[in-house]
Amino acid sequence: MSVNTWIIVAGDPAIGNLIDTARSLGGSVSVAVVGPRAVADTVAAAGVDKVVWFGEPGAVPAEAYATVVADAVAAATPGLVLAANRASDRVLLGATAARLQAPVLAAVSSITADGAGLVANCSVFGGIAEETVTVTGPLALLLEGGPVPAASTTVPVEELPATPLGITVVETKPSSFEQVDLGAAPRVVGIGRGLKTQEDLALINALADAAKAEVACSRPVAEGLDWLGKDRYIGVSGAHITPDLYFAIGISGQLQHMVGVRGAKTIVAINTDPNAPVFKEADYCLVGDLYALVPALTAALK
Amino acid sequence: MKIVVAYKWASNPQDATVGAQGTVDWSRAKPGFSEYDPVAAELARRLADATGGEVIGLTVGTKRVDATLARKAALSRGFDRAVIVADDSLEGAGSTQLAAVLAAAVRHIGDVDLVITGDSSVDVGSKMVPTVLAGQLGWPAVAEVISITGQAGALRVERAVPTGTQVLEITGPVVLAASTDAAVARVPGMKDILAAGKKPVESLDLAALDIPAAAGTTTVTGTSRPDLLTRKGQMIDASDPAAAAAELVAALRGAGAL
Ligand SMILES: Cc1cc2nc3c(=O)[nH]c(=O)nc-3n(C[C@H](O)[C@H](O)[C@H](O)COP(=O)(O)OP(=O)(O)OC[C@H]3O[C@@H](n4cnc5c(N)ncnc54)[C@H](O)[C@@H]3O)c2cc1C
Repeated sequence: MSVNTWIIVAGDPAIGNLIDTARSLGGSVSVAVVGPRAVADTVAAAGVDKVVWFGEPGAVPAEAYATVVADAVAAATPGLVLAANRASDRVLLGATAARLQAPVLAAVSSITADGAGLVANCSVFGGIAEETVTVTGPLALLLEGGPVPAASTTVPVEELPATPLGITVVETKPSSFEQVDLGAAPRVVGIGRGLKTQEDLALINALADAAKAEVACSRPVAEGLDWLGKDRYIGVSGAHITPDLYFAIGISGQLQHMVGVRGAKTIVAINTDPNAPVFKEADYCLVGDLYALVPALTAALK
Repeated sequence: MKIVVAYKWASNPQDATVGAQGTVDWSRAKPGFSEYDPVAAELARRLADATGGEVIGLTVGTKRVDATLARKAALSRGFDRAVIVADDSLEGAGSTQLAAVLAAAVRHIGDVDLVITGDSSVDVGSKMVPTVLAGQLGWPAVAEVISITGQAGALRVERAVPTGTQVLEITGPVVLAASTDAAVARVPGMKDILAAGKKPVESLDLAALDIPAAAGTTTVTGTSRPDLLTRKGQMIDASDPAAAAAELVAALRGAGAL
């Protein structure tokens, strides 16, 4: 059974993984693109079969196109709809799933088609278990976007006139944090709420320098304390990384954090609480004060 | 302004146990007002107080979500009243089904200007229910919302994007998913919990709601435990920091990790 797939793009053409997934199912691969023309052009050169584009958005955010995207994609009666796991992409996928009354699956590791329908393997409940789910009828999937696909054959971009919903961007404020790609770092030093003040990040930066590592954190350090950028937090709703070495420092190691570093080759945990769950998932366990251990470790690495 | 807060009564998977075959046993995980939903309730209360509006808590789930404890926990969060759809046929319902029921309840409530949700639920956490709910209503959704001001039909919403933040003007009804740090929710006190018992609750009959049929069937055909790497769990005595650091560095070098 081959399955016709639609991919939804809300401004970011990093959908290499989605195209590969769609291709593996043997049917046609179409893409609905919201965003500037350049994004549609990138996607049109990525080896897909069809691209529809809804015009220059100007100051209108992708979310305002939710109903027009849902209508356009549903009209094509796809077997599968894919979107990358990013905030605006999720909105367009949700609108399309609603229009199709299709179930949505997230954290999907594989998808195949057999006589009975689509069969997906997904990680559920923050990663404590895995399920195989068989779906008859259309299905919407949230996947990791993957890289921007390399150029191959180019298809024309079909422009569909669209009337977006009433949302306008009236102001943008740049982040004070520089963006980072944790996925590329072979070593990562993760810091949690065990750190007492933002100034103490200097200790962590020194360790990261000595270990030639990137600095990362638990969610509350980036959201709430605002000590580091949101792209530096690791976990179920943040970055999933597979470095050679991960230091979890002053991090309790709740499920929602640890699921993001499960693939790390080696994990070192430093925590004052001997009962912290992080120790159950670490290779090297140091029960102690980070304020004494981090400087000592930095010195030992020099 | 009529504001609905869609909240979930759910358990933290951290407290669940997983059997050898991957079956999840929730019996020891106590359900509660889902971790990030107090932020949504707080944003709604502040906006309603600023605009003279009403806040309605809305939840959908099995009979458990309509237990006295669950009702009180929700209503102590600053809602004026609650609307609950509790039916055991919703056990294990997916995002699309839950969102379809939520949308039907929002339509039943009528004249709703704004739905606010938390960032993600503590149990499923895929961030999809607000987006599918918006889709069912024909409204847009915006996630990662940091602040909400303005009036119905002229909302000013700030939201986080990877490059910083954006301020949006929204002219129609909308579903907004709050960022986890959009507000520090007040902790309900004794007074709130006592007052909660007196607030009106409307229980809706699932069968009486106008809910579109699912397009197909979804069946869980297998479960398994995740295939995790085995960890060494080696303790390093940290009483002397310098010695501990030297031992750790030597161990990491020996294992080829440095
Ligand atoms: C739906 C949902 C999604 C979530 N997604 C994520 C996610 O993606 N990523 C994420 O990280 N979290 C996520 N969380 C939050 C998660 O559940 C935890 O609350 C969070 O990871 C805790 O962060 P922490 O370990 O820094 O803080 P805490 O749990 O407060 O732990 C701090 C630790 O520091 C230790 N400590 C204190 N002082 C010292 C010292 N001097 N030296 C050494 N150790 C010290 C303490 O013993 C403690 O163990 C999510 C939660 C939910 C409900």
